[in-house]
Amino acid sequence: MPLEFKPSEPLTFGVELELMVLNTRDYNLSRGAPDLLARLEKAKLPSEVKPEITESMIEVNSTVHTRYDRLQEELERTRDGIVDAAGKLNLAVAGGGSHPFHKWNERRIFATERFLQVSALYGYLAKQFTVFGQHIHIGVANGDDAVYLTHQMARYIPHFIALSASSPFYQGEDTSFETSRLHAVSAFPLAGHMPEVDNWDDFNRYFDEMSSYGIVASMKDFYWDIRPKPEFGTIEIRIGDTPLTVTGAAQLAAYAQCLAAELLANRRTEPAARQYLVYGYNRFQACRFGFGAMLADPGAHTHVRLRDDILATLDRIRGIGEEMGAAEALRSIGDQADRESNDSSWLRERFQEAGDLSDVVRLQARRWREDPPRVKTEPEAARLRAAK
Amino acid sequence: MTVFPFLPTLPLTLSYPLLFGALLVAGMLGGEVARQLRLPRVIGYVLVGFAVAPVAAAMQIGPLFEEARIFFDIGLGLVLFDLGRRMDLSWLKRDWTLAATGFAESLFAFGLVFAALTWMGFAPLMAGLAAAIAMATSPAVVLLVAQDARADGQVTDRALTLVALNSLLASVVVTMLTAPVHYELRLDLDTAVLHPLYLFAGSMAIGGAMAWLARVLARRVERNPELHFTLVAGLVLAAVGLAQMGKLSVILALLALGIFVRNDPDRHVLVNVELGRASRLFYVVLFVITGASLPLSAFETAGWAALVFAGARAAAKFLGVIAIAPMGGMKWRQNAALAATLLPMSSLALLLLHDVVRIYPEFGQKLAAVVVAGIIVMELAGPVATQWGLRFAGEAAPPPAPGPAPKGQAAKGPAAKPAETSKP
Repeated sequence: MPLEFKPSEPLTFGVELELMVLNTRDYNLSRGAPDLLARLEKAKLPSEVKPEITESMIEVNSTVHTRYDRLQEELERTRDGIVDAAGKLNLAVAGGGSHPFHKWNERRIFATERFLQVSALYGYLAKQFTVFGQHIHIGVANGDDAVYLTHQMARYIPHFIALSASSPFYQGEDTSFETSRLHAVSAFPLAGHMPEVDNWDDFNRYFDEMSSYGIVASMKDFYWDIRPKPEFGTIEIRIGDTPLTVTGAAQLAAYAQCLAAELLANRRTEPAARQYLVYGYNRFQACRFGFGAMLADPGAHTHVRLRDDILATLDRIRGIGEEMGAAEALRSIGDQADRESNDSSWLRERFQEAGDLSDVVRLQARRWREDPPRVKTEPEAARLRAAK
Repeated sequence: MTVFPFLPTLPLTLSYPLLFGALLVAGMLGGEVARQLRLPRVIGYVLVGFAVAPVAAAMQIGPLFEEARIFFDIGLGLVLFDLGRRMDLSWLKRDWTLAATGFAESLFAFGLVFAALTWMGFAPLMAGLAAAIAMATSPAVVLLVAQDARADGQVTDRALTLVALNSLLASVVVTMLTAPVHYELRLDLDTAVLHPLYLFAGSMAIGGAMAWLARVLARRVERNPELHFTLVAGLVLAAVGLAQMGKLSVILALLALGIFVRNDPDRHVLVNVELGRASRLFYVVLFVITGASLPLSAFETAGWAALVFAGARAAAKFLGVIAIAPMGGMKWRQNAALAATLLPMSSLALLLLHDVVRIYPEFGQKLAAVVVAGIIVMELAGPVATQWGLRFAGEAAPPPAPGPAPKGQAAKGPAAKPAETSKP
């Protein structure tokens, strides 16, 4: 039976954020997620908050948006609600792609049927998978657009890696990578990228074949960096670490939205095959060197520095960004690229100062809680508006 | 003149290192036997203590508790410091129900035990002292059982905070009650007022000064867990020694040290070191000595009164927790588990009793026996209750999965596929 692609409003978007649940004693991961989620059931948050594979993680799912500032506002309110509930349990919550010093064998699987199945199949990979990513969904009109956009976005995967990187430390050491999280992803058998199908019918033929081998049952069995999500009518970009702030998360989503808008407006015709030849190499370069990565450009047979590629791309989408109300987000992203500064550099600077990873996580949790500062309560906000 | 002057003279005198080593190894073995029986290790340590007491008496070592008091104090000092470090005052502010639960269960324990003892005919002041001792939960038992069960979660965190709170309250109330004791002993009013004040202020001052010194020194050395471990261990030992020298309360001083270290705005200057294995050495000896200093003959003197004492205390702890904790949004299962974790009585109660008897010998054979017998009951039933609570709440780490790993799931077709997950 072919997978049906449910159309959605093009260029609408939303995010999923996986977050760390920490104790406030030494800022190691805790197993506080079940208690935190139980408490959040009663709170009225704009986003949904759900369990993840281990009891040290929660996942925030935003609603669907058209403008990034609205998305950011929703994420801030959700963050405040989570921070309040966590405070009552003496827990802290933080962004970041991986916890710098936890021991994977101390993690416990969140006891839902599906997570227990995943754990039974994947063994230690399941607990090792306590890493934290941001998934960005972009709405598309139909399955053919989803396939087109998935292929075209693949070229920009290094951008998202460098801009979101926030996991330089792993198991108590500096990995020398900008992001160490992606190594946990690569271990899964159906990781990587979508095959070179041309359209949705073509994709369905591929899916049927894989299904006939008994390898996959649904789209969720593909752990690709970008994948079509037919039941939402979106493509899902899954490459990024969770940023250290909700602002960072909203800005990255805005970047993806504007990029998608440009790629849909000015259709490319070159085949995906050549881009996929250099995909793995470029992905590694970005993980290892961040903005300093040298990306192979298969069209020009040259290398280009990732920082320059991001700045050139921003130049190209500036006009679209203004139309979509994302000018400020793009400016901020351009500024980060220009200074070659991301969350991983922030974490390394904090480690230089503190000399202790537990203290780095404390500061990381504080940044998540306070940057940007707490949303004003409604009466307070109304008073401020009146004063203006 | 002996023939061989290089030989030791008889009878041999027992050296402290030998005593410490022997108690340590014996305790460890007892703990492992208990673990084989799926009981908390603590019970094994204590039972070894029960067995060691008559041997020590036969060897004319004298009361082990007095001989090895230094190990006892160091062990308890480490426990109390660790416990104080887990008491986060900002948490008590953020969740008022936690502090309220702590006050409720301590107050109920005091009230119910006081009522039971006066009903049985004990004088109010004596009943009050015994009731104050009954407020405290054994920090060492709860810490050790939680450590052995690798427990982590709300019940574990809340239990340790409540234990810190009730230990603190018990010590303060016992200290305050020394005032009427002095008065009753017809000492002058100055002593009656100044002694408790000295105990309280002096102990707090030691805790505060050591916490300050810890931060000052921590700033001077590299921020390295090994260095900070040595620093913390050294200052804890020094605080125990200072409290002894000043005839102050080891309990209050070390609890205060832990609380000051944890709650200072500059607390991150000091690495939150795990005392872990090093302190385990002293914990084992602490429990063996505790066991050895609990005379089973106390039951003969105390009779049913001991069970009334232990029963009233247990009922009060449950009532106190059940009355307030549900308002904090915890599930009933968690609250029941939390109440169970608060039952153990051990070295802290013994030390409080010891202090009371020292100041107030008239405390009476009979009531001391009731408290001791109550401690014995809870020394054995308490760890089991705590272990049960942590398991019942689902916070103890699951035992490693038995049996071979599942094989070849992927070959079974789509039905065996991992279900939906957004990971990776």
